[in-house]
Amino acid sequence: MNNTILWYTTRGAGAVSLVLLSAVVVLGVLSTLRYESPTWPRFLTTGLHRNIALTAVVFLALHIVTAVVDPFTHLGWLTAVVPFSSYYRTFWLGLGTIAFELLLAITVTSLVRGFIGHGTWRAIHWLAYASWPIAVMHGLGTGTDTWSVWMLAIDAVCFVAVLAAVAARLLTTSPDPLAADRARFRERVSRKTPR
Amino acid sequence: MSALNLFAGPAPSAGAESFTDHTRRLGVRPKGNRALLDTLDRSGLVGRGGASFPVGTKWRSVAGRSRGGAVVIANGAEGEPLSRKDQTLMALRPHLVIDGALLAAEAVGAKRVLLYVGEAHRVAVASMTRALAERPASDVARATLLPAPPSYVAGEESAAVHFVNSGVATPTAVPPRPFERGVDGRPTLVQNVESLAHAALIARYGDAWFQSLGRHGAVGTVLLTVSGAVIRPGVIEVPSGCTVDEVLELAGGVRGTARAVLLGGYFGGWISSSRAGTMALDPKGLRAAGGSLGCGVVSVLDDVADPLEVSARIIQHLANESAAQCGPCFFGLRSLAAATTRLARRQPDDGDLAHLHRWAAMVKGRGACRHPDGAVAFMQSALSLFEPEFAAAAGGRGRMVS
Repeated sequence: MNNTILWYTTRGAGAVSLVLLSAVVVLGVLSTLRYESPTWPRFLTTGLHRNIALTAVVFLALHIVTAVVDPFTHLGWLTAVVPFSSYYRTFWLGLGTIAFELLLAITVTSLVRGFIGHGTWRAIHWLAYASWPIAVMHGLGTGTDTWSVWMLAIDAVCFVAVLAAVAARLLTTSPDPLAADRARFRERVSRKTPR
Repeated sequence: MSALNLFAGPAPSAGAESFTDHTRRLGVRPKGNRALLDTLDRSGLVGRGGASFPVGTKWRSVAGRSRGGAVVIANGAEGEPLSRKDQTLMALRPHLVIDGALLAAEAVGAKRVLLYVGEAHRVAVASMTRALAERPASDVARATLLPAPPSYVAGEESAAVHFVNSGVATPTAVPPRPFERGVDGRPTLVQNVESLAHAALIARYGDAWFQSLGRHGAVGTVLLTVSGAVIRPGVIEVPSGCTVDEVLELAGGVRGTARAVLLGGYFGGWISSSRAGTMALDPKGLRAAGGSLGCGVVSVLDDVADPLEVSARIIQHLANESAAQCGPCFFGLRSLAAATTRLARRQPDDGDLAHLHRWAAMVKGRGACRHPDGAVAFMQSALSLFEPEFAAAAGGRGRMVS
């Protein structure tokens, strides 16, 4: 009885994590597009991006912890940390571990962004573009529910949403609304300095 | 009551003190070394550019990374419109500032000294240029005068470093902070000119002497710029720890009746004149009391002036001085200024007052530098002290407090 609960929790939390992380990626891309409308101010994008990301981390933790402690799987804690160390579905679980560790790096650096500097934070944040597809492959490869219609529908929606956001990012240029004002100010405080 | 320490020696009317007179009066400058860092720590000297950061700690952080190649920037940009103390110091005692900058260079292990002086402060620039020329060749070889563009943020330390590196005086994202990676990627000490001048005297007379200058537990003296509704506005030097009332008395007393005092400048805050009177002007004490000495501005608002109009002008100036690099600062300060201006004209839009409270809280902490934070601190002090005026301007009957 107990292990059935754990097993269902693992699957459920995995599916929820996928949905939330996809939303986080879409919102992250939207923030660089500077999308806004009368009913959707720009701070809403970044606010949702941040808060949903933190929620996703909670569900991901649930997904991992329940999978590890489930006595039926015998995964062990090492699987959660060292990629491809699992006897069971070595490759597909390894992808999950990698995606998780990339996400951990992204989360931790975001929490201490003020201390590590913008450049370092941004470079590590780009790892999201690796973490998300690896996580999706992990789900497709090892998910117990992969071939059920509802899971396929969720996968399809997430995939299309992220793809559409990335395509929009690549195809459209979002003019920096501050460019002109910034240029004017920089002109005002620019001088030739003797080196 | 007024203390003459930095301004001891010839009267202000005599102009800049020459290098010969300076050396004859104070003796030859001692060499800066690691022992000076300990002396500065013990002296309790804190930075006079606005942040009141302990000078010994700051020098130590650069010295620890220097390996002999650090850079010192003597910060005399003074972009604060109500402050005159740095330009007055550079105009009258340029050699104290240069002494302090060279001592800092020797103590932290720097080869290069940049004298970053606001280009709009013509008298200070001329005085510092002349002073540098009077110096021995070994000093001249190390120090360069660098005029700073006239803008509020040009004196922010990452902006000063950015200006030296690229010729554009805008703040940059930190970290790395200047003491880690500054001019040409080297550890860089950016220190206000008044702090350097104090260090030049502490190096000669010691930390115990400096402490003995203060009152009521405070140390040293402070330069203040007194302005607004006083009989004799200007720059004065007082013992740290003396009260606002004593300072106003030195400035000839208040013209008319005081309503409020702006302490610390545009990044400081309004304090009611009744409360301000007994406040001790001491960087540490003021911080504990929730105020800030900032860069030493004491400006008196009388009961005839419209506090909303004055506040609107200040927040508008700070909005204009945003470098337009961070959205929350640029758009936020502009919105705060527009709403305050509408209220000051008694033609507010619906919700202007509520927006001011909300936006001020939202802007805080959202910039690469502290410009928005300083502006918001000022805005919130205005909203709090002039609450009745704001409420009346908004057409309300005030808010229930309890």
